[in-house]
Amino acid sequence: MIKKNYNTIEDFLNDTSFINWAKENKLSDASFWEDWIANNPEKKAMVYDAKEIVVGIQFKKTAPSKEKISLEWEKLEKKINKKSRPIFKRQKPGYSRYIAIAASIALFISLGAYLMNNNFSKTTHKTTYGEFLNLTLKDGSKVTLNSNSSISYYKNNPRKVWLTGEAFFEVDKKETTQAKFWVLTGDLSVEVYGTSFNVDTKHQKTDVFLEEGAIFLAFKNGQKAKMKPGNFISYSSKKNLILEQRSLVNTSHKTSWKNGTIVFENSTLSNAIKRIEDTYGLTAVFKDKKAATRSLLESYQLPI
Amino acid sequence: MKNLSDHFIWKALKEGDLKAFSVLFKTYYPMLYNYGLKISKNPSLTEDTLQDFFLYIYEHKENLSDLETIAPYLFSSYRRHLLKTMKKKSKTIAIDEMEKTIVDVNFSPEELMTHQENETFKNKNILHLLNNLPKRQKEAIYLKYYSGLKTSDIASVMEVNYQSVVNTIHKALKNLREVAAIHQLFNS
Repeated sequence: MIKKNYNTIEDFLNDTSFINWAKENKLSDASFWEDWIANNPEKKAMVYDAKEIVVGIQFKKTAPSKEKISLEWEKLEKKINKKSRPIFKRQKPGYSRYIAIAASIALFISLGAYLMNNNFSKTTHKTTYGEFLNLTLKDGSKVTLNSNSSISYYKNNPRKVWLTGEAFFEVDKKETTQAKFWVLTGDLSVEVYGTSFNVDTKHQKTDVFLEEGAIFLAFKNGQKAKMKPGNFISYSSKKNLILEQRSLVNTSHKTSWKNGTIVFENSTLSNAIKRIEDTYGLTAVFKDKKAATRSLLESYQLPI
Repeated sequence: MKNLSDHFIWKALKEGDLKAFSVLFKTYYPMLYNYGLKISKNPSLTEDTLQDFFLYIYEHKENLSDLETIAPYLFSSYRRHLLKTMKKKSKTIAIDEMEKTIVDVNFSPEELMTHQENETFKNKNILHLLNNLPKRQKEAIYLKYYSGLKTSDIASVMEVNYQSVVNTIHKALKNLREVAAIHQLFNS
Protein backbone atom coordinates (compact mmCIF):
# COMPACT_ATOMS: atom_id res chain seq x y z
CA MET A 1 0.00 0.00 0.00
CA ILE A 2 1.75 3.11 -1.12
CA LYS A 3 -0.66 5.97 -0.81
CA LYS A 4 1.39 8.98 -1.74
CA ASN A 5 4.74 10.51 -1.08
CA TYR A 6 5.39 11.57 2.48
CA ASN A 7 8.14 14.14 2.31
CA THR A 8 7.39 16.58 5.09
CA ILE A 9 5.95 16.41 8.57
CA GLU A 10 2.78 18.06 7.28
CA ASP A 11 2.22 15.20 4.83
CA PHE A 12 1.95 12.89 7.81
CA LEU A 13 -0.08 15.27 9.96
CA ASN A 14 -2.70 15.66 7.21
CA ASP A 15 -3.16 11.93 6.78
CA THR A 16 -6.09 10.30 8.58
CA SER A 17 -4.53 6.88 8.47
CA PHE A 18 -1.31 8.20 10.01
CA ILE A 19 -3.18 9.97 12.80
CA ASN A 20 -5.10 6.79 13.56
CA TRP A 21 -1.86 4.89 13.82
CA ALA A 22 -0.13 7.56 15.94
CA LYS A 23 -3.05 7.63 18.36
CA GLU A 24 -3.09 3.85 18.34
CA ASN A 25 -6.84 3.85 17.99
CA LYS A 26 -7.08 1.74 14.85
CA LEU A 27 -5.03 -1.36 15.04
CA SER A 28 -5.85 -2.19 11.45
CA ASP A 29 -3.57 0.52 10.15
CA ALA A 30 -0.71 -0.57 12.38
CA SER A 31 0.63 -3.21 10.03
CA PHE A 32 0.64 -0.75 7.15
CA TRP A 33 2.65 1.87 9.03
CA GLU A 34 5.10 -0.61 10.50
CA ASP A 35 5.76 -1.87 6.99
CA TRP A 36 6.08 1.67 5.73
CA ILE A 37 8.68 2.58 8.33
CA ALA A 38 10.62 -0.59 7.60
CA ASN A 39 10.62 0.27 3.88
CA ASN A 40 11.53 3.93 4.41
CA PRO A 41 14.18 3.87 7.13
CA GLU A 42 15.51 7.28 6.09
CA LYS A 43 12.22 8.87 7.10
CA LYS A 44 11.96 7.14 10.46
CA ALA A 45 12.97 10.22 12.47
CA MET A 46 10.39 12.33 10.65
CA VAL A 47 7.69 9.73 11.32
CA TYR A 48 8.43 9.77 15.03
CA ASP A 49 8.51 13.57 15.14
CA ALA A 50 5.10 13.62 13.46
CA LYS A 51 3.82 10.97 15.84
CA GLU A 52 5.04 13.02 18.79
CA ILE A 53 3.07 16.01 17.50
CA VAL A 54 -0.09 13.95 17.13
CA VAL A 55 0.21 12.40 20.59
CA GLY A 56 1.33 15.62 22.25
CA ILE A 57 0.74 16.35 25.91
CA GLN A 58 -2.29 15.22 27.87
CA PHE A 59 -4.05 17.84 29.95
CA LYS A 60 -6.70 17.44 32.58
CA LYS A 61 -9.22 19.97 31.44
CA THR A 62 -11.10 21.88 34.04
CA ALA A 63 -14.25 23.54 32.85
CA PRO A 64 -16.93 25.66 34.46
CA SER A 65 -19.82 23.47 35.65
CA LYS A 66 -23.00 22.97 33.61
CA GLU A 67 -24.94 24.97 36.21
CA LYS A 68 -22.50 27.83 35.91
CA ILE A 69 -22.78 27.85 32.11
CA SER A 70 -26.59 27.80 32.27
CA LEU A 71 -26.50 30.67 34.74
CA GLU A 72 -24.24 32.68 32.45
CA TRP A 73 -26.53 31.92 29.51
CA GLU A 74 -29.60 33.13 31.40
CA LYS A 75 -27.76 36.31 32.26
CA LEU A 76 -26.98 36.86 28.59
CA GLU A 77 -30.49 35.94 27.45
CA LYS A 78 -31.93 38.56 29.79
CA LYS A 79 -29.68 41.22 28.29
CA ILE A 80 -30.68 40.16 24.77
CA ASN A 81 -34.39 40.24 25.56
CA LYS A 82 -34.13 43.61 27.23
CA LYS A 83 -32.60 45.13 24.13
CA SER A 84 -34.95 43.58 21.62
CA ARG A 85 -38.16 44.04 23.62
CA PRO A 86 -40.03 46.41 21.29
CA ILE A 87 -39.97 43.90 18.44
CA PHE A 88 -42.00 40.79 19.05
CA LYS A 89 -40.54 38.45 16.59
CA ARG A 90 -42.07 35.02 16.37
CA GLN A 91 -39.64 32.30 15.69
CA LYS A 92 -40.02 31.17 12.15
CA PRO A 93 -41.18 27.60 11.84
CA GLY A 94 -39.52 25.54 9.20
CA TYR A 95 -36.07 24.25 8.65
CA SER A 96 -34.04 26.43 10.91
CA ARG A 97 -35.39 24.71 13.98
CA TYR A 98 -34.78 21.21 12.66
CA ILE A 99 -31.39 22.26 11.57
CA ALA A 100 -30.67 23.59 15.04
CA ILE A 101 -31.76 20.24 16.50
CA ALA A 102 -29.71 18.27 14.00
CA ALA A 103 -26.76 20.56 14.58
CA SER A 104 -26.95 20.28 18.34
CA ILE A 105 -27.00 16.51 18.13
CA ALA A 106 -24.08 16.64 15.74
CA LEU A 107 -22.02 18.35 18.41
CA PHE A 108 -22.01 15.15 20.38
CA ILE A 109 -20.53 13.05 17.66
CA SER A 110 -19.20 9.93 19.20
CA LEU A 111 -15.82 8.76 18.17
CA GLY A 112 -17.20 5.31 17.60
CA ALA A 113 -15.80 1.95 18.33
CA TYR A 114 -12.83 0.38 16.73
CA LEU A 115 -12.25 -3.23 15.89
CA MET A 116 -9.30 -5.41 16.40
CA ASN A 117 -8.08 -7.36 13.47
CA ASN A 118 -5.90 -10.28 14.32
CA ASN A 119 -5.67 -11.73 10.86
CA PHE A 120 -2.12 -11.07 9.82
CA SER A 121 -2.38 -11.66 6.15
CA LYS A 122 -5.45 -9.45 5.80
CA THR A 123 -5.30 -5.66 5.75
CA THR A 124 -8.35 -3.71 6.85
CA HIS A 125 -9.02 0.00 6.62
CA LYS A 126 -11.85 1.33 8.71
CA THR A 127 -13.48 4.68 9.25
CA THR A 128 -15.63 5.83 12.12
CA TYR A 129 -18.62 8.13 11.85
CA GLY A 130 -17.88 11.44 10.22
CA GLU A 131 -14.52 10.30 8.89
CA PHE A 132 -13.18 9.62 5.39
CA LEU A 133 -10.18 7.81 4.14
CA ASN A 134 -8.47 8.19 0.77
CA LEU A 135 -6.50 5.10 -0.08
CA THR A 136 -4.43 3.98 -3.00
CA LEU A 137 -4.07 0.24 -3.24
CA LYS A 138 -0.85 -1.48 -4.21
CA ASP A 139 -2.05 -1.86 -7.80
CA GLY A 140 -2.69 1.89 -8.09
CA SER A 141 -6.47 1.73 -7.70
CA LYS A 142 -7.95 4.53 -5.63
CA VAL A 143 -10.56 4.00 -2.95
CA THR A 144 -12.43 6.69 -1.06
CA LEU A 145 -13.98 5.15 2.02
CA ASN A 146 -17.09 6.86 3.42
CA SER A 147 -17.77 7.15 7.15
CA ASN A 148 -18.52 4.07 9.23
CA SER A 149 -17.21 1.76 6.50
CA SER A 150 -14.40 -0.70 6.01
CA ILE A 151 -12.57 -2.51 3.27
CA SER A 152 -10.24 -5.44 3.65
CA TYR A 153 -8.09 -7.49 1.35
CA TYR A 154 -5.40 -10.09 1.53
CA LYS A 155 -1.95 -8.68 1.13
CA ASN A 156 -1.14 -10.99 -1.73
CA ASN A 157 -4.24 -9.91 -3.67
CA PRO A 158 -5.18 -6.26 -3.30
CA ARG A 159 -7.46 -6.47 -6.34
CA LYS A 160 -10.09 -8.40 -4.40
CA VAL A 161 -11.64 -6.33 -1.64
CA TRP A 162 -14.43 -6.91 0.84
CA LEU A 163 -16.60 -3.91 1.58
CA THR A 164 -19.02 -2.96 4.31
CA GLY A 165 -20.46 0.53 4.27
CA GLU A 166 -19.79 2.74 1.28
CA ALA A 167 -16.83 3.38 -0.98
CA PHE A 168 -16.01 4.95 -4.30
CA PHE A 169 -13.54 3.07 -6.49
CA GLU A 170 -11.31 4.24 -9.30
CA VAL A 171 -9.77 1.08 -10.60
CA ASP A 172 -6.57 1.15 -12.57
CA LYS A 173 -6.61 -0.80 -15.79
CA LYS A 174 -4.05 -3.57 -15.96
CA GLU A 175 -3.41 -3.57 -19.68
CA THR A 176 -0.69 -6.19 -19.61
CA THR A 177 -2.23 -8.80 -17.35
CA GLN A 178 -5.93 -8.02 -17.95
CA ALA A 179 -6.30 -8.70 -14.23
CA LYS A 180 -9.78 -8.02 -12.93
CA PHE A 181 -10.68 -6.14 -9.83
CA TRP A 182 -13.33 -7.52 -7.45
CA VAL A 183 -15.51 -5.87 -4.85
CA LEU A 184 -17.44 -8.26 -2.61
CA THR A 185 -20.38 -7.34 -0.39
CA GLY A 186 -22.96 -9.39 1.49
CA ASP A 187 -25.31 -9.14 -1.47
CA LEU A 188 -23.24 -9.32 -4.62
CA SER A 189 -19.83 -9.17 -6.22
CA VAL A 190 -18.67 -6.55 -8.68
CA GLU A 191 -16.35 -7.61 -11.45
CA VAL A 192 -14.28 -4.75 -12.77
CA TYR A 193 -11.81 -4.00 -15.47
CA GLY A 194 -10.66 -0.36 -15.12
CA THR A 195 -13.47 1.99 -14.21
CA SER A 196 -14.93 4.22 -11.49
CA PHE A 197 -17.99 3.36 -9.47
CA ASN A 198 -19.67 3.70 -6.08
CA VAL A 199 -20.76 0.82 -3.83
CA ASP A 200 -22.97 1.35 -0.79
CA THR A 201 -23.96 -1.52 1.50
CA LYS A 202 -25.89 0.40 4.13
CA HIS A 203 -29.39 -0.68 5.21
CA GLN A 204 -29.18 -4.39 4.30
CA LYS A 205 -28.82 -3.98 0.57
CA THR A 206 -26.08 -3.06 -1.87
CA ASP A 207 -26.33 -0.04 -4.14
CA VAL A 208 -23.96 0.14 -7.08
CA PHE A 209 -23.58 3.22 -9.19
CA LEU A 210 -21.30 3.20 -12.23
CA GLU A 211 -19.71 6.49 -13.19
CA GLU A 212 -17.35 5.39 -15.92
CA GLY A 213 -16.36 2.23 -17.80
CA ALA A 214 -18.18 -1.08 -17.53
CA ILE A 215 -18.73 -3.56 -14.72
CA PHE A 216 -20.46 -6.89 -14.21
CA LEU A 217 -22.50 -7.72 -11.14
CA ALA A 218 -23.01 -11.22 -9.82
CA PHE A 219 -25.86 -11.32 -7.33
CA LYS A 220 -26.04 -13.81 -4.50
CA ASN A 221 -28.90 -15.62 -6.24
CA GLY A 222 -26.74 -16.37 -9.27
CA GLN A 223 -28.24 -13.70 -11.53
CA LYS A 224 -25.85 -11.49 -13.45
CA ALA A 225 -26.07 -7.96 -14.80
CA LYS A 226 -23.92 -5.74 -16.94
CA MET A 227 -23.84 -2.06 -16.07
CA LYS A 228 -23.28 0.97 -18.28
CA PRO A 229 -22.12 4.43 -17.19
CA GLY A 230 -24.88 6.26 -15.29
CA ASN A 231 -26.60 2.99 -14.30
CA PHE A 232 -27.74 2.54 -10.74
CA ILE A 233 -28.77 -0.82 -9.24
CA SER A 234 -29.95 -1.54 -5.73
CA TYR A 235 -30.11 -5.22 -4.71
CA SER A 236 -30.97 -7.05 -1.50
CA SER A 237 -29.95 -10.69 -1.09
CA LYS A 238 -32.21 -10.96 1.94
CA LYS A 239 -35.25 -10.16 -0.18
CA ASN A 240 -33.65 -11.81 -3.22
CA LEU A 241 -34.80 -8.82 -5.21
CA ILE A 242 -33.54 -5.96 -7.34
CA LEU A 243 -35.05 -3.04 -5.47
CA GLU A 244 -34.24 -0.33 -7.93
CA GLN A 245 -32.70 -0.15 -11.36
CA ARG A 246 -32.44 2.98 -13.42
CA SER A 247 -30.22 5.26 -15.41
CA LEU A 248 -29.36 8.58 -13.83
CA VAL A 249 -28.87 11.80 -15.72
CA ASN A 250 -27.75 13.94 -12.83
CA THR A 251 -25.31 11.85 -10.87
CA SER A 252 -23.58 14.22 -8.50
CA HIS A 253 -25.66 13.23 -5.47
CA LYS A 254 -24.48 9.60 -5.71
CA THR A 255 -20.78 10.34 -5.50
CA SER A 256 -20.48 13.87 -4.09
CA TRP A 257 -19.72 12.55 -0.60
CA LYS A 258 -16.20 11.62 -1.68
CA ASN A 259 -15.43 15.31 -2.21
CA GLY A 260 -16.72 16.24 1.22
CA THR A 261 -20.24 17.39 0.40
CA ILE A 262 -23.57 15.64 0.54
CA VAL A 263 -25.80 16.77 -2.29
CA PHE A 264 -29.54 16.37 -1.83
CA GLU A 265 -31.55 16.34 -5.02
CA ASN A 266 -35.33 16.16 -5.09
CA SER A 267 -34.97 14.51 -1.75
CA THR A 268 -37.48 14.37 1.06
CA LEU A 269 -36.36 15.77 4.39
CA SER A 270 -36.49 12.27 5.88
CA ASN A 271 -34.15 10.90 3.19
CA ALA A 272 -31.79 13.80 3.72
CA ILE A 273 -31.78 13.25 7.47
CA LYS A 274 -31.18 9.51 6.94
CA ARG A 275 -28.08 10.36 4.96
CA ILE A 276 -26.87 12.60 7.79
CA GLU A 277 -27.62 9.87 10.35
CA ASP A 278 -25.54 7.37 8.33
CA THR A 279 -22.63 9.76 8.07
CA TYR A 280 -22.45 10.83 11.68
CA GLY A 281 -24.05 7.91 13.54
CA LEU A 282 -26.80 10.11 14.92
CA THR A 283 -30.49 9.62 15.34
CA ALA A 284 -32.82 12.47 14.53
CA VAL A 285 -36.36 12.68 15.83
CA PHE A 286 -39.03 14.56 13.96
CA LYS A 287 -41.20 16.52 16.32
CA ASP A 288 -43.55 17.19 13.46
CA LYS A 289 -44.19 13.96 11.53
CA LYS A 290 -45.42 15.88 8.52
CA ALA A 291 -42.05 17.56 8.13
CA ALA A 292 -40.45 14.21 7.27
CA THR A 293 -42.30 13.93 3.99
CA ARG A 294 -41.61 17.46 2.89
CA SER A 295 -39.20 17.66 0.03
CA LEU A 296 -36.25 19.91 -0.39
CA LEU A 297 -37.03 22.06 -3.36
CA GLU A 298 -33.58 22.92 -4.51
CA SER A 299 -30.47 20.86 -4.49
CA TYR A 300 -28.59 21.51 -1.34
CA GLN A 301 -24.95 21.01 -0.47
CA LEU A 302 -23.83 20.02 2.96
CA PRO A 303 -20.19 20.18 3.92
CA ILE A 304 -19.06 17.11 5.83
CA MET B 1 -15.91 15.17 10.61
CA LYS B 2 -15.78 18.83 10.72
CA ASN B 3 -18.21 21.52 10.10
CA LEU B 4 -21.76 20.30 9.72
CA SER B 5 -22.78 21.80 13.02
CA ASP B 6 -20.63 24.91 12.71
CA HIS B 7 -21.98 25.77 9.29
CA PHE B 8 -25.62 25.44 10.31
CA ILE B 9 -25.35 26.98 13.74
CA TRP B 10 -23.66 30.01 12.29
CA LYS B 11 -26.22 30.30 9.51
CA ALA B 12 -29.12 29.97 11.96
CA LEU B 13 -27.54 32.54 14.28
CA LYS B 14 -27.26 35.01 11.43
CA GLU B 15 -30.97 34.53 10.83
CA GLY B 16 -31.58 35.44 14.46
CA ASP B 17 -32.24 31.95 15.83
CA LEU B 18 -31.82 32.31 19.59
CA LYS B 19 -31.82 28.54 20.07
CA ALA B 20 -28.84 28.15 17.76
CA PHE B 21 -27.11 30.94 19.64
CA SER B 22 -27.67 29.12 22.92
CA VAL B 23 -26.11 25.95 21.45
CA LEU B 24 -23.16 28.04 20.29
CA PHE B 25 -22.83 29.67 23.71
CA LYS B 26 -22.98 26.42 25.64
CA THR B 27 -20.52 24.71 23.31
CA TYR B 28 -17.85 27.36 23.28
CA TYR B 29 -18.27 29.00 26.68
CA PRO B 30 -16.13 26.42 28.56
CA MET B 31 -13.26 26.60 26.04
CA LEU B 32 -13.29 30.38 25.89
CA TYR B 33 -13.58 30.65 29.66
CA ASN B 34 -10.48 28.51 30.12
CA TYR B 35 -8.65 30.48 27.47
CA GLY B 36 -9.65 33.81 29.00
CA LEU B 37 -8.66 32.68 32.46
CA LYS B 38 -5.27 31.58 31.17
CA ILE B 39 -4.70 35.00 29.64
CA SER B 40 -6.16 37.25 32.35
CA LYS B 41 -5.74 35.04 35.42
CA ASN B 42 -8.84 36.82 36.69
CA PRO B 43 -12.14 34.84 36.90
CA SER B 44 -14.51 37.79 37.23
CA LEU B 45 -12.85 39.71 34.43
CA THR B 46 -13.10 36.59 32.25
CA GLU B 47 -16.82 36.21 32.98
CA ASP B 48 -17.57 39.87 32.35
CA THR B 49 -15.66 40.05 29.10
CA LEU B 50 -17.34 36.84 27.88
CA GLN B 51 -20.79 38.31 28.58
CA ASP B 52 -19.89 41.47 26.65
CA PHE B 53 -18.32 39.46 23.86
CA PHE B 54 -21.29 37.14 23.28
CA LEU B 55 -23.74 40.02 23.52
CA TYR B 56 -21.71 41.87 20.92
CA ILE B 57 -21.88 38.86 18.58
CA TYR B 58 -25.65 38.55 18.92
CA GLU B 59 -26.22 42.23 18.39
CA HIS B 60 -24.08 42.23 15.27
CA LYS B 61 -25.29 38.90 13.93
CA GLU B 62 -26.58 40.35 10.67
CA ASN B 63 -23.18 41.80 9.85
CA LEU B 64 -21.13 38.72 10.62
CA SER B 65 -19.38 37.14 7.69
CA ASP B 66 -20.14 33.55 6.70
CA LEU B 67 -18.10 30.97 8.53
CA GLU B 68 -17.40 27.29 8.00
CA THR B 69 -15.51 26.87 11.25
CA ILE B 70 -16.50 28.90 14.26
CA ALA B 71 -13.71 28.17 16.74
CA PRO B 72 -10.91 30.26 15.22
CA TYR B 73 -13.21 33.25 14.84
CA LEU B 74 -14.39 33.05 18.46
CA PHE B 75 -10.93 32.48 19.90
CA SER B 76 -9.25 35.30 18.02
CA SER B 77 -12.06 37.85 18.45
CA TYR B 78 -12.45 37.06 22.13
CA ARG B 79 -8.70 37.22 22.63
CA ARG B 80 -8.63 40.66 21.01
CA HIS B 81 -11.59 41.84 23.10
CA LEU B 82 -10.06 40.57 26.34
CA LEU B 83 -6.65 42.07 25.67
CA LYS B 84 -8.27 45.41 24.84
CA THR B 85 -10.23 45.39 28.10
CA MET B 86 -7.16 44.43 30.08
CA LYS B 87 -5.18 47.20 28.43
CA LYS B 88 -7.82 49.76 29.31
CA LYS B 89 -7.81 48.65 32.94
CA SER B 90 -4.06 48.54 33.17
CA LYS B 91 -3.68 52.16 32.11
CA THR B 92 -4.43 53.20 35.65
CA ILE B 93 -1.88 50.79 37.03
CA ALA B 94 0.66 51.47 34.28
CA ILE B 95 2.02 48.19 33.14
CA ASP B 96 4.41 47.88 30.25
CA GLU B 97 2.30 48.19 27.11
CA MET B 98 4.41 45.83 25.07
CA GLU B 99 4.09 43.10 27.64
CA LYS B 100 0.31 43.13 27.43
CA THR B 101 -0.05 42.13 23.81
CA ILE B 102 1.89 38.91 24.24
CA VAL B 103 -0.10 36.18 25.89
CA ASP B 104 1.70 34.30 28.61
CA VAL B 105 0.04 30.97 29.27
CA ASN B 106 1.18 29.06 32.34
CA PHE B 107 0.18 25.59 33.41
CA SER B 108 -0.56 24.42 36.94
CA PRO B 109 0.27 20.97 38.33
CA GLU B 110 -3.40 19.94 38.49
CA GLU B 111 -3.80 20.53 34.77
CA LEU B 112 -1.23 18.02 33.67
CA MET B 113 -2.26 14.38 33.42
CA THR B 114 -0.03 12.17 35.51
CA HIS B 115 -0.27 9.60 32.76
CA GLN B 116 1.48 10.93 29.65
CA GLU B 117 1.22 8.83 26.52
CA ASN B 118 4.59 10.02 25.35
CA GLU B 119 7.30 8.20 27.32
CA THR B 120 9.73 11.10 27.40
CA PHE B 121 7.15 13.37 29.01
CA LYS B 122 6.70 11.01 31.96
CA ASN B 123 9.02 13.22 33.93
CA LYS B 124 8.30 14.97 37.16
CA ASN B 125 9.97 18.16 35.94
CA ILE B 126 7.82 18.33 32.82
CA LEU B 127 5.55 21.04 34.24
CA HIS B 128 8.49 23.25 35.07
CA LEU B 129 9.98 22.65 31.63
CA LEU B 130 6.66 23.39 29.99
CA ASN B 131 6.24 26.70 31.78
CA ASN B 132 9.75 27.75 30.81
CA LEU B 133 9.11 27.42 27.09
CA PRO B 134 8.95 30.61 24.99
CA LYS B 135 5.51 32.24 25.19
CA ARG B 136 4.52 31.58 21.59
CA GLN B 137 5.35 27.90 21.97
CA LYS B 138 3.34 27.70 25.19
CA GLU B 139 0.30 29.28 23.59
CA ALA B 140 0.48 26.96 20.59
CA ILE B 141 0.76 23.96 22.92
CA TYR B 142 -2.21 25.25 24.91
CA LEU B 143 -4.43 25.77 21.86
CA LYS B 144 -3.51 22.42 20.33
CA TYR B 145 -3.59 20.04 23.27
CA TYR B 146 -5.70 21.86 25.86
CA SER B 147 -8.33 23.59 23.71
CA GLY B 148 -8.10 20.89 21.07
CA LEU B 149 -8.11 23.28 18.11
CA LYS B 150 -7.03 22.12 14.68
CA THR B 151 -3.67 23.35 13.41
CA SER B 152 -5.31 25.47 10.71
CA ASP B 153 -7.53 27.07 13.39
CA ILE B 154 -4.54 27.81 15.60
CA ALA B 155 -2.87 29.50 12.66
CA SER B 156 -5.72 31.98 12.33
CA VAL B 157 -5.94 32.58 16.09
CA MET B 158 -2.21 33.27 16.36
CA GLU B 159 -2.19 35.13 13.04
CA VAL B 160 0.58 33.09 11.49
CA ASN B 161 0.55 30.51 8.70
CA TYR B 162 -0.08 26.79 9.03
CA GLN B 163 3.56 25.90 8.48
CA SER B 164 4.76 28.12 11.30
CA VAL B 165 2.25 26.61 13.77
CA VAL B 166 3.57 23.15 12.97
CA ASN B 167 7.13 24.44 13.37
CA THR B 168 6.33 26.10 16.69
CA ILE B 169 4.72 22.98 18.13
CA HIS B 170 7.47 20.78 16.73
CA LYS B 171 10.10 23.00 18.30
CA ALA B 172 8.29 23.10 21.65
CA LEU B 173 8.04 19.32 21.88
CA LYS B 174 11.63 18.91 20.79
CA ASN B 175 12.72 21.39 23.46
CA LEU B 176 10.77 19.46 26.08
CA ARG B 177 12.18 16.15 24.94
CA GLU B 178 15.78 17.37 24.99
CA VAL B 179 15.60 19.13 28.34
CA ALA B 180 13.77 16.16 29.83
CA ALA B 181 16.59 13.90 28.64
CA ILE B 182 19.20 16.13 30.28
CA HIS B 183 17.25 16.10 33.53
CA GLN B 184 17.02 12.33 33.37
CA LEU B 185 20.77 12.13 32.95
CA PHE B 186 21.48 14.22 36.02
CA ASN B 187 18.93 12.54 38.19
CA SER B 188 19.82 8.96 37.42
